[in-house]
Amino acid sequence: MAREKIVSKLTNLGLNITDDIMLHEPPRMHLPQRNIRNITFNEKENLLELGSKMSTRSFLNVAHSRKFMQTILIASKCKELVAKDKTASIRELYYQLKHTIEGTKENTFDDQSESDPLIVDLETSLGVLREELHLKADDKGTLIGQITLEDSGDFIDCSKLGRSGLSVPSIVEHYKFHEVNADYILVIETGAMFDRLVEEKYHLKNNCIMVSTKGQATRGCRRLVHRLNQELNLPAIMFTDGDPWGYYIYSVMKAGSMALAHESRRLGTPQIQLVGMTMTDIDAYGLEKVTETLKEVDKKRINELLQYPWFQKKEWKEELALMAEKGVRIEQQALASKSLEFVAEEYLPEKIAKKQMLP
Amino acid sequence: MINMVAVNEIHADDLFKEFKESSITEFFRKNRAHLGYSGKLRSLTTVIHEIVTNSLDACEEAGILPEIYVRIEALGKEHYKIKCVDNGPGIPLKHISSVFGKMLAGTKFHRNVQLRGQQGIGVAGVTLFSQTTTGKPITVKTSTGKGKVNELDLMIDITKNTADILRNEEYSEYWRGTEIDAEFKGVRFTLSERGPFEYLRRTAIANPHVKITFIDPEGRKTVFDRSNQKVPTPPIPVKAHPKGLEVDELINMAKANKARKVSSFLGVAFSRMSNARIKEIQEHVSFDLNKNPRKLTWAECEEIINAIDKIKFLAPPSEGLMPIGEKQIREAVLNIVDPEFEATLTRPTKVHSGGVPFQIEVAIAFGGNAGRNIGEGTKFELMRFANKAPLLFDAGGCAITRSASSVDWKRYGIRDFENAPMTLFVNVISTHIPYTSAGKQSISEDQNLLKEIRFALMEVGRKFQIYYSRLRKAEERELKKQILRKYSAAFAAALAELANRDEEKIKKELYVIIEEKISGMDAEEENGEELDAIPQEEIMKTESE
Repeated sequence: MAREKIVSKLTNLGLNITDDIMLHEPPRMHLPQRNIRNITFNEKENLLELGSKMSTRSFLNVAHSRKFMQTILIASKCKELVAKDKTASIRELYYQLKHTIEGTKENTFDDQSESDPLIVDLETSLGVLREELHLKADDKGTLIGQITLEDSGDFIDCSKLGRSGLSVPSIVEHYKFHEVNADYILVIETGAMFDRLVEEKYHLKNNCIMVSTKGQATRGCRRLVHRLNQELNLPAIMFTDGDPWGYYIYSVMKAGSMALAHESRRLGTPQIQLVGMTMTDIDAYGLEKVTETLKEVDKKRINELLQYPWFQKKEWKEELALMAEKGVRIEQQALASKSLEFVAEEYLPEKIAKKQMLP
Repeated sequence: MINMVAVNEIHADDLFKEFKESSITEFFRKNRAHLGYSGKLRSLTTVIHEIVTNSLDACEEAGILPEIYVRIEALGKEHYKIKCVDNGPGIPLKHISSVFGKMLAGTKFHRNVQLRGQQGIGVAGVTLFSQTTTGKPITVKTSTGKGKVNELDLMIDITKNTADILRNEEYSEYWRGTEIDAEFKGVRFTLSERGPFEYLRRTAIANPHVKITFIDPEGRKTVFDRSNQKVPTPPIPVKAHPKGLEVDELINMAKANKARKVSSFLGVAFSRMSNARIKEIQEHVSFDLNKNPRKLTWAECEEIINAIDKIKFLAPPSEGLMPIGEKQIREAVLNIVDPEFEATLTRPTKVHSGGVPFQIEVAIAFGGNAGRNIGEGTKFELMRFANKAPLLFDAGGCAITRSASSVDWKRYGIRDFENAPMTLFVNVISTHIPYTSAGKQSISEDQNLLKEIRFALMEVGRKFQIYYSRLRKAEERELKKQILRKYSAAFAAALAELANRDEEKIKKELYVIIEEKISGMDAEEENGEELDAIPQEEIMKTESE
């Protein structure tokens, strides 16, 4: 969308609210509900979709006044950024807007966790993307492997980045892909496992691109994996810890998240499969001694996952039931109990070759 | 049969004579606690109570607006001098010795009439208490206002139970009233909830037509001024009401009655007992009501009682009762407690077991000076009264305390009842208050009384609730406005930027909207659409930017 269009969308938001005020109506704004009640799971495409339910935020509702003010502060700052053609990180935005409210000891924002969800509110209510508001998130996630990327005219051979890899930026729209010599993409949850596999030269020996999400995947990571999968037709395989948290990270990678359901189609990789860790690995590889007992929160989370429509596949219900039954979880790095090389030389090649993967 | 009764009566009389002549001090010593003379503080409060009560009853009967002056002076450790002066009718010389010098001389006991002092122990007990603790007489100065004043020093001759007048001076002075000067040892003055100060404060609340001036041992003067200028009509004696009568009472009344027939005995002895009602009773009983009432058997009396239970009677007449009145209580509560909210209620006359009419008056006061001040906070305060006389002691076993704590105050919006800035006022009015003991500080837990007090409290509770929820809503609205105003400036500035409009104009209009909408915001908005907030936890779980 052109910058002028974005500026006018933001201005219109302001004008609608100003009109309310001039007509002595309570200032309001409408936004799509972003909770599970307004999310549907498209089984055919394996994607989360945002429904049409709207919620109203009213300045006169004291439960929302602060949020309302904050949303307008953000909108106003974004308008300034777009007009000046500057891009700020969401953390910079937070610091730009944080100040003490006149006559009080209260801050406009106490924490970045207050401003971040409001940015998404703004995106969904205006129907624009974060990058169109000239905002970006901090870089998180790393890529390494048999591909050359073109970034703003520079060519980056991602197989020649030593052990460091390429830091995945928040916006990957401008990347062009060249000289792809990979058979698949391996998405790894933990940074430590990524480092292990890099040291074992797994990506070179197995001809793949490795991406580490370092926990929950950022939009940048998800968009990059989506693009590699869709544009280069590369199969995507995910490798997470064997616990409900790891599996949820996988599900976000695959079907999208509830908070960003409006962007699932750009961010999800429905084709991705999970290679491990699985509960059956424990018996198959003799890992009984290196499991961890499930805590109450883990058990609660398992039950929550079982409620989500996108966890209703037979294989997943069985996997989660088995985890609950065993009462244990298993980390990726538990494989080191065999040997450091075990994961790279036996576990992954074997499971991938035999297609022992969860959908 | 008649002889047997007569023998019994003589026997009881003998006992009473015996008791009067030989052991009046013994009686006092043994019954000190029951008479209110136990504990250093309580004894002092009892002294004040007896004297003030006497004054108020006398003034009321004489139609005088009472003005009472009380001074307590410290003479030494646990040694005080008390001066009480009233503007009452005065006491004629020939009655002085029986009022101040004769125990159990009262005439009220056998009259079915509501007075504060009820059992005739009263002010003679003060004389006795003074002389047993100090060995000194009390000084009484009194005049009926005809230019002649009598000043006497007197003690009680404990063997004869009569006054021993040590000095009697008569002189000319135009003044009317009674003044008592007496010393006491083994007592202690404090400003506690059960002390003389609180006693007088509560007396002033329950008697809005009274003016009390009090000077405490430190010389501090407090005046409780009257809020009502009208002397209450004195109560008149009434007959017992049939409902609530018990068998032994009926049989005793029947035996003492001179009527020739049971039917005429019933008609004479009870109120609301018309010929029609007597006929109805006749239909329910197996014997002829024409029989001699003195020959009624226990079983026959039971039959009569059962019949009375089944029959409807008019409510007891309330002429015998003298409620303070809702208006008067309100004025007194506003005058002395000065609360933010009050509600008062006088319930209709009811009968407690014993066939005695009673009436309940309650008031609730909240905020202001309501509640009991304790250092850093305020606690709930229950003011108990019997025939307008404050009950300060033995709260635990009292019907009023029991009823007040049986009410579920949460229902009326009072969450922390014990610590609420609230005063409850409960006055039980009756020709015969069923006290738990002769100390007259606690009312026995009669079921009808408990129920009436509870209903009365619940009714004022409901009035309070309406006020309180309005108050809370108003507070909430003010809080809302404050919150909204707080965010308005930053909001207006950002909005002006966003919409390219004038910041000052937006801010001004925003303030107007806040004032308009929040002030007009009542039940409708509260029940209206709760705007759908996005559960933060849901975002936390799924989001990572």
